[in-house]
Amino acid sequence: MGARTPVRAIGTLLLLVTAALAQGHHSAAMFDDSQRVTLTGTVREFQWSNPHCYVQLVVQPAKGPAQEWSLEMGAPNYLYNLGWRPSTLKAGEQVTVKIAPLRKGKAGGLLLELTKADGRHFGGKR
Amino acid sequence: MSRVASRAGAITRLAMLAGVLALLPACTQRTPPAPTDPRVDTFSKLPDWRGYWIAEGMLADISGYTADGPTAPMRMEFQGADAPWKPEQRAKILAMAPAMIAAANKGKATGWGYPMMMQSFAPLQFLITPEETLIMNFYRDVRHVYTDGRAHPKPDDLWPTPWGDSIGRWEGDTLIIETTAVQRPGILFVPFPLVSENARYTERIRRVSADRMESEFTIEDAETLTGPWSFKLAYVRQPALDRLIHEAFENDRVEVDDEGELLTIKPPQR
Repeated sequence: MGARTPVRAIGTLLLLVTAALAQGHHSAAMFDDSQRVTLTGTVREFQWSNPHCYVQLVVQPAKGPAQEWSLEMGAPNYLYNLGWRPSTLKAGEQVTVKIAPLRKGKAGGLLLELTKADGRHFGGKR
Repeated sequence: MSRVASRAGAITRLAMLAGVLALLPACTQRTPPAPTDPRVDTFSKLPDWRGYWIAEGMLADISGYTADGPTAPMRMEFQGADAPWKPEQRAKILAMAPAMIAAANKGKATGWGYPMMMQSFAPLQFLITPEETLIMNFYRDVRHVYTDGRAHPKPDDLWPTPWGDSIGRWEGDTLIIETTAVQRPGILFVPFPLVSENARYTERIRRVSADRMESEFTIEDAETLTGPWSFKLAYVRQPALDRLIHEAFENDRVEVDDEGELLTIKPPQR
């Protein structure tokens, strides 16, 4: 039993380190994975770029000025494998997204799911 | 020109043509067959691993992480949760873990390095030639596996790099790779596995079906392990992928935040 405890401990700690790792570029610790935020807005820009793609989404809250969110996605090769291309998302499109927000409260996060105005859905468990 | 002369000319041309045609079989028979290029012959006997492959369980969603979310537990063998660590190395890892987590929280990398690239989100290409097999991903992690019979450089002329030094040989359709001189900890922020730079890595990779390859992986390291550390990996072919789009990092918007502990996304440049 005494020998098994360190085995479990090392496994747990190494899992924590892995959870802090990322796709080969940076850690996921900057995102609050315990939270989910749903936003509906207008795509100002879709950046098909390395090391990440980004959706710049302009959201108009019920009160106050519109806010622009920076939403991180995977690298182009990950999206390409899922059928995405630079033309998949265009400025001016209305979309609804589900994100894991930045921990520090800025208008940004990790884009987990996206639904277009025509109902097409991308991301998440299928 | 008279009709008689014209007719005679036509007969002469027909006779010449008949002569040439009569000689053709003989000419063909006299042409020796092209010698078989030994390299082409060797190449023709090597397996076909074309396509792009992702380690099983590591398919990235649109977020760049699995569809389970960015911090969902994943079975990543190189963590070494089941490795036969020496007691002193186990204690060292436990002591290092908090610092490793803190470093990973604000670290950035330009790829996976070896051996993590062999079980990562990034698709792999295996490019086989008679002299070497190239294994690469879109982060430009590239391994040159020399299969031309050479040995590793002698120890005095070998220095650790993030991808190590690899030599290989074919046993039928199985590629056996031996790798050493892997830089630890990696200069890339992914720190696994926590073995020494003298560790020896052996892979036995073969394609078992149209859409699947399997690898038997063994790590040996007298400094940190009590014995061989072995496990299996698999790679799944990605039919939708027809190219690797390499990372240029031209739009790296991730930076350490004002408090210096976490990363954040900086605004787009316009």
